[in-house]
Amino acid sequence: MSSVLRGIWDNTYGLLVDDGQLAIGAIVALAITWLVAQSGNDAMRENAGWLLLVLVVVLVIANLYRAGRNARRRVT
Amino acid sequence: MDLVNIAIAATPAFIASAVEFVEATTIVLAVGITRGWRAPLVGTALSILTLAAIVTVFGVALVNVIPEHLLLTVVGTLLLLFGLRWLRKAVLRFAGIVALHDEEEIYRKEVAELRAQGLSRTEWDWVGTIVAYKAVLLEGVEVAFIVIAFGAKGAAAMNAAIVGALAAGVVVIALAAVLRQPLTAVPENWMKFGVGAMLSAFGVFWFGEGIGAGWPGDAASIPVILGIFLVASWVAARMLRGLVPQGARVEARNV
Repeated sequence: MSSVLRGIWDNTYGLLVDDGQLAIGAIVALAITWLVAQSGNDAMRENAGWLLLVLVVVLVIANLYRAGRNARRRVT
Repeated sequence: MDLVNIAIAATPAFIASAVEFVEATTIVLAVGITRGWRAPLVGTALSILTLAAIVTVFGVALVNVIPEHLLLTVVGTLLLLFGLRWLRKAVLRFAGIVALHDEEEIYRKEVAELRAQGLSRTEWDWVGTIVAYKAVLLEGVEVAFIVIAFGAKGAAAMNAAIVGALAAGVVVIALAAVLRQPLTAVPENWMKFGVGAMLSAFGVFWFGEGIGAGWPGDAASIPVILGIFLVASWVAARMLRGLVPQGARVEARNV
């Protein structure tokens, strides 16, 4: 039974985190967006969602670029 | 609740659940064909009951206890983390950096392992029951997560997400029952790619709503956000093909 529980925990953790840097980066992007929405004026809060989108897209591309570079190093 | 919001809950739940059901079905099929069907079917039924309990407990608690704005923020965060994980892996698989999920190979390995364990004709096949239970439960936790996340907007959304997931289960099980072999023709990576982009888009949208941001046209912004994720992922896949030598296959998890 404990192996089943362990498996559920590993799977649940694995649901959200595959690459630690990507997960941390996403949480930082969410935190920045939340801070902007809370501390800024109405216009900033209104556009905070688009800010999050830009941050996440940049994060994904940067993360995949790093993954590609690592892979190339392994191949060569 | 209008049809758009029902579709918003049911469609991603259907596609994402189909991917997970394909993976679980491969294992159950391997158990059934090597050891007989009674034990794996009992294991599968027990697992479905466990998953139904998880969805009921967490789903009802989420919808009834947490205030809507906080709920959207939490669900948006979880969906974004979950979606980005799928999207990243799908792009790496398209680029050949991570191996594609091979149902045929998984099936062969599982059959070999199950045959090696032997079978007693007189006792209940606990091995078959437990293997099927674990496989369905572990894959099903992801289905439960998606159903809870998409159903968190209320009872109608929860029902739509459950119907989407159940429909995926029925379709996949029916196909497996007819074909009696792993569903290798299902384009799993394309589905994971699409669902990853969808979950990420909903994550951004709901987190934005949760913190009080505005979206032009409300839910009409979701296809725009989804389109931006798809274009960015396509750009990333092309970039990776340029970076990694043609045909290179790197079996590495932490690339």
